[in-house]
Amino acid sequence: MSPLEIVIFLPIVASLAIWLGAPARITSITAALINLLIIGGIALGFDGSKLAPGEFAHVSSRVVLENPAISFAVGIDGMSLILALLTTLVTFAAVWQIVAEKDKVFHIASLLISAGALGAFLSTDIFFLYAFHELALIPTFLMIALHGHGDQATRRAVAWKITVYLGLGSLVLLAGLAALVLNLSEGPTLTFDVTALAHKSASLPAATQAWIFFVLLLGFGTLVSLFPMHSWAAPAYATAPTSVAMLHAGVLKKFGLYGLLRIALPLLPLGAQAQWVQQALLLMLLGNILVMGLVTIHQDRLDDMLANSSVMHMGYIFLGIAAGTELALKGAVVLMFAHGVSIALSFALCGRMRNQLGTLEFDKLGGLATHAPLLTVIFAFAAFASIGLPGLANFAGEVMVFLGTFDSKLWSPEKLNALQWTTILSLWGVVISAVYMLRAYRKIFFGTAASGLYMKDPAFSQRVPLVLLAAVLLIVGCCPGTLLDLIKTAWAAAKVAGL
Amino acid sequence: MSAFSIEVLLALLGLAIVLAAAFLPAVSQRTLAWTGIAGSVVALLLLCGASHAESSLPAFVAPYYSLDTLSLFYKAFALVITALVLWLIAESDSTLSNYSADGKLGELVGLPLIVCTGMMWMASAKDLVTVFVSLELVTVAFYVLVAYTRKSALSLEAGVKYLILGAAATGVLVFGAAWVYGATGSLSFEGIAKGVQNAAVNKSVLLFGIAFLLAGLGFKVAAAPFHMWVPDVYQGAPTPVTAFLSVGSKASGFIVLTRVIDALLANGSRVTSEVTNLLLISAAITVLLGSLPAIFQTSVKRLLAYSSISHAGFLLLALASRSSARFDITSGGVVAFYLATYLPMTVLAFFVLCVLRRQGIGDSLDELKGLGRRSPLLALLLTIAMASLAGLPLTAGFLGKMLVFVAAVDHGYWGVIGCAVIGAAAGFYYYFKVILAIYTSEGTTEEPVTVSIASKAIATALAAIILILGLYPRPLQKVLAAPAAASVALGK
Amino acid sequence: MITLNHYLFVSGALFALGLAGVVVRRNILVIYMCLEMMLSSANLALVAFSRFHLTDGLPDYSAQALVFFTITVAAAEVAVGLAIIVAVYRAKNSIDVESVTKMQG
Repeated sequence: MSPLEIVIFLPIVASLAIWLGAPARITSITAALINLLIIGGIALGFDGSKLAPGEFAHVSSRVVLENPAISFAVGIDGMSLILALLTTLVTFAAVWQIVAEKDKVFHIASLLISAGALGAFLSTDIFFLYAFHELALIPTFLMIALHGHGDQATRRAVAWKITVYLGLGSLVLLAGLAALVLNLSEGPTLTFDVTALAHKSASLPAATQAWIFFVLLLGFGTLVSLFPMHSWAAPAYATAPTSVAMLHAGVLKKFGLYGLLRIALPLLPLGAQAQWVQQALLLMLLGNILVMGLVTIHQDRLDDMLANSSVMHMGYIFLGIAAGTELALKGAVVLMFAHGVSIALSFALCGRMRNQLGTLEFDKLGGLATHAPLLTVIFAFAAFASIGLPGLANFAGEVMVFLGTFDSKLWSPEKLNALQWTTILSLWGVVISAVYMLRAYRKIFFGTAASGLYMKDPAFSQRVPLVLLAAVLLIVGCCPGTLLDLIKTAWAAAKVAGL
Repeated sequence: MSAFSIEVLLALLGLAIVLAAAFLPAVSQRTLAWTGIAGSVVALLLLCGASHAESSLPAFVAPYYSLDTLSLFYKAFALVITALVLWLIAESDSTLSNYSADGKLGELVGLPLIVCTGMMWMASAKDLVTVFVSLELVTVAFYVLVAYTRKSALSLEAGVKYLILGAAATGVLVFGAAWVYGATGSLSFEGIAKGVQNAAVNKSVLLFGIAFLLAGLGFKVAAAPFHMWVPDVYQGAPTPVTAFLSVGSKASGFIVLTRVIDALLANGSRVTSEVTNLLLISAAITVLLGSLPAIFQTSVKRLLAYSSISHAGFLLLALASRSSARFDITSGGVVAFYLATYLPMTVLAFFVLCVLRRQGIGDSLDELKGLGRRSPLLALLLTIAMASLAGLPLTAGFLGKMLVFVAAVDHGYWGVIGCAVIGAAAGFYYYFKVILAIYTSEGTTEEPVTVSIASKAIATALAAIILILGLYPRPLQKVLAAPAAASVALGK
Repeated sequence: MITLNHYLFVSGALFALGLAGVVVRRNILVIYMCLEMMLSSANLALVAFSRFHLTDGLPDYSAQALVFFTITVAAAEVAVGLAIIVAVYRAKNSIDVESVTKMQG
């Protein structure tokens, strides 16, 4: 049995145990910790340079259906390792910070979402990669509808919105994946194995590749809140209970990006390079960065601002995918990790403030720096990371993405091309981020609170998840090599293919 | 022992139970129901042990009786659903007997076995005569079952509606069979398959017959535009009978439809495009007319009726997406696979309704509120059933839907796929509405729901089957690649 | 000379009349009679096709076998159907279709 299978099923077993009456907090923290240790152990022993592109470590494959050929196949390479690391980290932090009264359902929901994300990241069979992602759908729906913030009508509306959007998105995705599998299987057996499908991808006509890629982009894009399919995300994160928001915004949303990087780009290389697909993608990601950036500036509540900023920052990762160069893709992976940690940290802090202060409106807050110094420092980590300050994780990713766009061979190198113009416009997004983050920081932590509401630093045990996530941001920010070593060879092939 | 004799024995057991109910008042309803369950389980074991070679059949049935993978599958399917329906009847005997004419349930316990005989026989039909007789055996028995709790006005009303529309469908079916016979000169599927390839056959006569034949069968499987009876009949019928209609009657309609379509779309058929278009149009409107009205339903039973229509649409789409030459998956196999996954989730949903009814809880969505606290187990089971009906991955329901999607994408039926996507997305909405109601806390009462240990075990097993088949569908592999009957018959 | 077409015309007319009756009549008993008419029309078509589909100078009897099954099954259907109609009459004192339209939507 591969350790990866344990990692996937442990949270499910733990949530079942909690449902049957095991002590919720201890069980879920133990499960999350074991997962973190297993994945951490794998990461320590992992040598990215030993794996050829398209090769996986710790593989295990069990046939569940012969025709169409579907296997429960797991495996790990640098990219999935980074995302698994992100998942286990955020899960650990998320279940640790749960302090609600009805904590049982919160723990079950968090563990199920975590299991879904891990299953999706660690499967090497498209069927299970897709299937596991949907495991989170019901827990998310119920948690937002029943235990979300705000009045019942609002949170139900929000829950329906996210469910219908994600449901539709995954059906579009299913149609795209069906087309992909049908076109790339070599018959007479339909196969869903990522490696087996790669054989035929070179011979698929560019026009076919382009439209399948576009359908996949729409499907995966909806799950990542790509503009203009983004409107479910911000209200959902603002309404969701803290642990769900952390896991969904921090981890689960990365699934769509992961899918593009794992399935769409390697299997449909010509589709990704098609001019019209590129142009459409660039327009959509500019929508994320600029339109959502401006929307974010106009938010006057912390949770709304964080939720919108999370949608906005997806644009940079899409930019890396659009550029398609080795550097940009690696940057996109680092940025996925960094964004996941920083947004989870932000939501953890935001949830803490909501519990203690009862309000998150900037106009009512202020002066927390003197009352809660630790919180001030941690929040600074999250906020500055999200702006992209050097020394914190996001910076490394963003720089790599920006620089990567300048070596794309796809566009004419003589003058500034569409991709590079997009990059230049995207750089303004960084300014926008700085504006709203710093403004929020100043309003919350300095001056005086109009409402007279203040809060203390959390108790010692509750500092664990905050400090952990902040430390990760700092470590990866100072030595991004820790992550980059894992994906050393991942896109060496991309260069050869002329990307 | 041949498979054929199992059906004879089962019919005899059914008659014996009806007689026992009438003449041995000392025997309780539950005993009779469990006798029937034991009978079907024994029959299932016998079926597994029986010879599957067609040469084992007695000479007088052999020409009219096939024993291929699909027919064996549908025979086993009929036995399983019959046993489960009898279990549901035993579960809800106290509620049902309040509404029957004499306060007893004799025929309600005996007739499902007769229906089962009809369904098993239908699975083996090789010609329209056998189809007609076995279909009528099923339908006439269902008239009685639907109207059985006749002290309830709804049940009686459902009985009358089912009777009139069912009889009309029978008339249309026989009329269509007559014209197909007139065109092809044969009533056997093999002969019809040869007839549709024959250039000498009058095509307009053939198409006229096919239209009526498919309309008649469309009624049995609840395909639009012949689906209007479904919501009323499902709502009015006793809940176990509704489950039986929804799974058993639909499956037997689909085995016949599979055979007929296999014959009509045999290689070289001259009516391929007409029949395919007919199926595609019907599939598209069936999915839409099933899913969209379901959104507005407040009765869970009625909601499940519309959902059953919508599932019929997906099955029709599977039938229209004929097996492509590139991949060894047959459309008949996909339909059988889909139905096999449909069985546990539907029965599970109706089981919860039966249990709640016994506790005096009706089937409206509002009355489900608070179930999450009154019975966490039932709530979880119903959630799994709903997730599977909605087609969420990792449940059995997803695989069936995915195979249908894959087949349809392979043929490029994008218009119908669009309708199916809308239908499936609407499904997310109305099934999740049920889930939301379960876990909404403002229930009227906190009194816990009591369920016997045996029933808990069976229901949990059903849920486990849903999840296991979602993760590990390999046991159904053989069914999926079952060769189409007509292609076997034509020696392809 | 009566040809196949004559029979088919009568059969079609009977079927159409039966179907029309099912749709327009309000009395359940009359509707039921119309249903029987539809079955009879199908029987007529079957027998006619069989009679005019000669193999070796003899009619093809498989269709006539179906006719006998249809007649038998129709009798069984009538037995059950009339029982249900009687039950409706007892419950509602009317056999008008309007008396059984409680469920809508």
